[in-house]
Amino acid sequence: MADLSILVRDAGGASVVEPSGFINAHTVRQFEGALERLVQEGRYTILLNCRDLNYISSAGLGAIMGLIETVRENQGDILLCNLQDNVFAIFDTLGFTQLYRVFPCEEDALASLAEQA
Amino acid sequence: MAALLAKRQEKSDFRLTIPSQTRYLNLVTGLAKRAALVAGMDDATAAKVSIAVDEAVTNIILHAYGGEEDHTVELDLRFTGKALEIHMWHTGLGIRGDQIVLPDPKEYVKHPRKGGLGLLLMSRFMDEVRFGEESGRSECCMIKTIA
Repeated sequence: MADLSILVRDAGGASVVEPSGFINAHTVRQFEGALERLVQEGRYTILLNCRDLNYISSAGLGAIMGLIETVRENQGDILLCNLQDNVFAIFDTLGFTQLYRVFPCEEDALASLAEQA
Repeated sequence: MAALLAKRQEKSDFRLTIPSQTRYLNLVTGLAKRAALVAGMDDATAAKVSIAVDEAVTNIILHAYGGEEDHTVELDLRFTGKALEIHMWHTGLGIRGDQIVLPDPKEYVKHPRKGGLGLLLMSRFMDEVRFGEESGRSECCMIKTIA
């Protein structure tokens, strides 16, 4: 099994990114590349569905941080949903839960986006 | 004899040497998590230990060795009965504890940027993190006390 696989699809006006596996210094380029492609295509509303994400290190957090200003400057955002406990602990420990909107499930995240539209 | 056995049970070591390549991170973090569970920690704590080890080994590979893949990182896991000690040795560029400035999470959130979070995660998830040097090798030692 690969350390990381990434599925990208559209739902409710957002680009849903589903990383499956581990995001660390070894796999981060793959994750970063997927996010950068979306931004280059002008898809600035990105929902990270983390239901199959077992682990993210600071390298992965850096990839998200590196794009947050660009997407927000373009009236988009990066949202998170379905965080496993250990992944939530990383985001929360670093105060990222104040910086990103976190939802328990994809439906709630998309409903929030629909309300904003 | 009983005293010897007790002493052995009180403290035991486990050693692993890996090439300085990020492809082995998953192996190391998996081992660290299992070691934390064997030491008696719960799942959530074991996950934090594995994350701290990922960050420490990543720092060694990318910063101490500058990404050069033909070196080694030696991990020494010590079960003391009261804590799990993880010693990581390398021959790359060492850092001293007094050189480290941890980012303030509140400031980080106000002024987001890439990088600088690994050491913060290590210090938040472990009870003790220290850096040293011995016999020409640099060491990062992290300790997690068993609750």
